[in-house]
Amino acid sequence: MNESSASTGAASPPALIVGALKRAGIALVASLPDQWLAPLIERCAADPEIRHVGVAREDEGVGICAGAYLGGTRAALICQNSAVLLSVNALGGMAFHHQIPMLIVAAHRGCHDDNQYYQMYKGRVTEPVLAAMGLPHHVIDGPEHLGLIEQGARQSLLSRLPLVLLLRRRALVG
Amino acid sequence: MKRNELAQRVKDRLHRDDLVVCGLGATEAAFRHVVAPCPTYYASDPMGVWSSVALGLALAQPARRVTLLAGDGDLLMSLQSLATIAAAGASNYRIVVFQNGAYSSTGGQRLTGADRLSFATIARGAGFAWAEESRNAGEIDARLDALYVRPGPALLAVHLEDEPCPAAPPGPWSQVEERTLFMQAVQALGDPRRAQGTR
Repeated sequence: MNESSASTGAASPPALIVGALKRAGIALVASLPDQWLAPLIERCAADPEIRHVGVAREDEGVGICAGAYLGGTRAALICQNSAVLLSVNALGGMAFHHQIPMLIVAAHRGCHDDNQYYQMYKGRVTEPVLAAMGLPHHVIDGPEHLGLIEQGARQSLLSRLPLVLLLRRRALVG
Repeated sequence: MKRNELAQRVKDRLHRDDLVVCGLGATEAAFRHVVAPCPTYYASDPMGVWSSVALGLALAQPARRVTLLAGDGDLLMSLQSLATIAAAGASNYRIVVFQNGAYSSTGGQRLTGADRLSFATIARGAGFAWAEESRNAGEIDARLDALYVRPGPALLAVHLEDEPCPAAPPGPWSQVEERTLFMQAVQALGDPRRAQGTR
């Protein structure tokens, strides 16, 4: 298994995340790129055990994950936290209302570890919006907390709700 | 053509081990009227996500035919999903658009651009290998046959009469309950790999 980073010898965050997704039984991943997510999405797309679907808008990914669950496949959406804002209707009106579990692995842009004016609203708004929707979420600060991937997937499945993981830069790109 | 006639003609081409995702409002009313012959997942609000739900179902059940019955106002909200569907290459996925040019449940207001809108043109531009539309009741049967002969993803938009369809009162089952019933019905169909090659 080539899950080691060539530079450090330690497993890279994308390798850890993909391994955790597979251990959680996730066989389908929908994604829309973000700079912090690029290595993770590349690794998902290259993994023969994962059906990867690139989407054009993130709320498509919510729909795809929901449909996959209806057909017996566990699925995850990999996206920016702005996807949560775009997908309030799909998450709150469809997935929540139909009680459909899915894991959302989101880059938590716009916080102390970011560096663009236009990202900042995302860090400010995402968690209050999730709270308003009644959707559970966890913030993952770094690779040492990536055990939350499997735990979050299980929490999502048992609560029949989407669960959002907000990953800081260090948890995604080291 | 009236929407119930189209629903009947689609039904005539479905098998008991097919799967259907059915849009809300007038499309749902039509398909419920003819009685679904196979496990059918009925949409709710919000509009605009059901083409993606059907794609996820098609990818999770590759050995079964999945048909999306799409209201035109619903599909118009997520045209970019057609590019995703084409790129995903789900050969078991087909779309029938119930195109009456109006939001029937809210009083029949016309869709923006309704008079010029061609879903078949948009779907071909999005990468669908086969996408056609039909305005003539006499040709609809042949087009529906063609839809199911060809591998998907494929789309047929059928222009319908604009009939009123007031919003229906809530049915006996909530969406959560219907989801459970649908998933149980899919499970009861058995191993999907055995379904392959039976038709």
